[in-house]
Amino acid sequence: MVKEKYLASLKESIVNLDFKAVVEAAKEAMDAGIDPHTAITDGMVPGMTVVGEKFERGEYFLSELVVAGEVMKEGLKIINPYIKQDSSERLGKVVIATVEGDNHDLGKNIVTTLLGVHGFEVVDLGKDVPMDKIVDAVKEYKPEILGLSALLTVTMPEMGKVIEALKVASLRERVKVIVGGSPVTSEFAKSIGADHCAVNAAEGVRKCTEWVAPREVK
Amino acid sequence: MHGVGSSTGGEINMAEMTPRERIMAVSHKKRADKLPFLHWWRHSQVGRAERECRNRGMGMCWQRPPYTMRMHGVDMTETQVLSSGEVVIRRTYSTPVGSVYLDEKSEPGVGQWHALRSWRDVLPWQTERLIKGPEDYKVLKYMVENTEYLPYYFPVEQAMDWLGDDGVVVDSLPHSPMQMLMIDWIGSEGGRFFIHHAKYPDLVEDLYKAISKSREPLYEIVAKSPAPITNFGDNIDGVLVNPKLFQKYFMPEYEKQAKVLHEHGKLMAVHMDGRVGVLKDLIAKTPIDIVEALHSPPMGDLPIGEALSLWKDKVIWTGFPGSVYILGPEAVKKHALSLLREIGSGDRLVVEMSTENLVSNENLLMLTSVLENADLPLTKEKIDGIERSLARS
Repeated sequence: MVKEKYLASLKESIVNLDFKAVVEAAKEAMDAGIDPHTAITDGMVPGMTVVGEKFERGEYFLSELVVAGEVMKEGLKIINPYIKQDSSERLGKVVIATVEGDNHDLGKNIVTTLLGVHGFEVVDLGKDVPMDKIVDAVKEYKPEILGLSALLTVTMPEMGKVIEALKVASLRERVKVIVGGSPVTSEFAKSIGADHCAVNAAEGVRKCTEWVAPREVK
Repeated sequence: MHGVGSSTGGEINMAEMTPRERIMAVSHKKRADKLPFLHWWRHSQVGRAERECRNRGMGMCWQRPPYTMRMHGVDMTETQVLSSGEVVIRRTYSTPVGSVYLDEKSEPGVGQWHALRSWRDVLPWQTERLIKGPEDYKVLKYMVENTEYLPYYFPVEQAMDWLGDDGVVVDSLPHSPMQMLMIDWIGSEGGRFFIHHAKYPDLVEDLYKAISKSREPLYEIVAKSPAPITNFGDNIDGVLVNPKLFQKYFMPEYEKQAKVLHEHGKLMAVHMDGRVGVLKDLIAKTPIDIVEALHSPPMGDLPIGEALSLWKDKVIWTGFPGSVYILGPEAVKKHALSLLREIGSGDRLVVEMSTENLVSNENLLMLTSVLENADLPLTKEKIDGIERSLARS
């Protein structure tokens, strides 16, 4: 099989949301000596791109987006052992969290997956994360971007508290803050001093990419 | 400004409608004297603002269960455990075919106030779901197949007696079968439900069918409850419940429920508080009488005016968006006036002060100030008059 066919199989397995096919395609590609980076960037990522396009056109829904990400993870389990990771190849670093008191992480996890697919290094702090832990993570990991998510109107103000805490810790100028979640509006984002309110996962990732655009997109 | 009259029975005097009469007239697609607005008991702060708003026409709505349930052959224990460094309540269900457990975390106030709500009005949330892997499905199926529903109308009768003409009592029901799986038992965190649905379609489908069958006696029980409206608390959001899922798993269940309720002359409401724009054409095809908790943008994605035009055989109870409340009373006034301007005559609409959280006194009073004089049918002149009077006050 020529290289293109291995890559096409990887892409199709993701577009078709096929857990078995992605494992087979990944094994075949690795057995055939396909470069693991190429398998990901020219096989799997184009598959995720197609899924993203279908999502934006309304042909696929959130369910397909989530499952496609999961299918890709299954394939990566096969491919990752063949990779030597070089952090300098990353597009940028994002710390992301659902704020304290909020247990919703579906949107955050999709953003995390898409950021990874687009070449970002993501430090996912999880859900129901206390303000201090988020500030400490910004201090420790020195990300270009902080992503905050909330689904409840009662937890939305926590995002503002985190931004205030970043100011107190003299970290605010070092990091862009993007917020998101169903009830979060641009007006609210502006009122708490965030840099951007993500309309959806794909748009949020585009904004993050735009922020780090001077660096080469891998 | 109109006062709130009391019910005298017999023919309704349009100038003297009570909150209950207003809500029920509109829910039956008849014209009320004013745009009905109500507060849910469970989200209502009892105090000076609440009393003042009720005196100025705000109705109340209580949701109460008309049934009890028991599981046969299932032992349940609760313990306090430390999970991932946090204190949680672990509830374990043991059956002859195996055990499952969930972990639940609560904010302060749960168990000390009402309706399992915290002081901030937040329900406990599950940090571990009952269904974790494929092996858990058979245990849940056993629990479902051994669940018995029994009529218990006292909570509804009691609330109706207490509330009288100040508002309405609606039956509350658990999530419909697929929603039980999506947001209760499997959960949506990290897309868990979607992943289970893709990886174990037969197990999901089989359990869905078992829940659906087990619910049939419950629908009969609810249909005979004295409450005039039954509310299925489904929390529908088109982002999670996509059109394919809605068509396959929700619409057939709603048809089954509506058939039984309509035979007993009851109205069927479904709690749809998410972004339902993607479902709007499918919702139009359902037998649902009341789309309850529909949120206008910026919280939802379907303008109320558009929904009223699209669903001509349905009534909408719209939830006032929490994301507007958070911006304060001026934003509340602006959004409420904008709402009035988009709903035409104002028929087939009830405004719910909140369907999710407590409302501050200032916001509640401001929203009441806008709505209390919304005489039906609405006209541009009437709305302009309301806006002018607010500017003067």
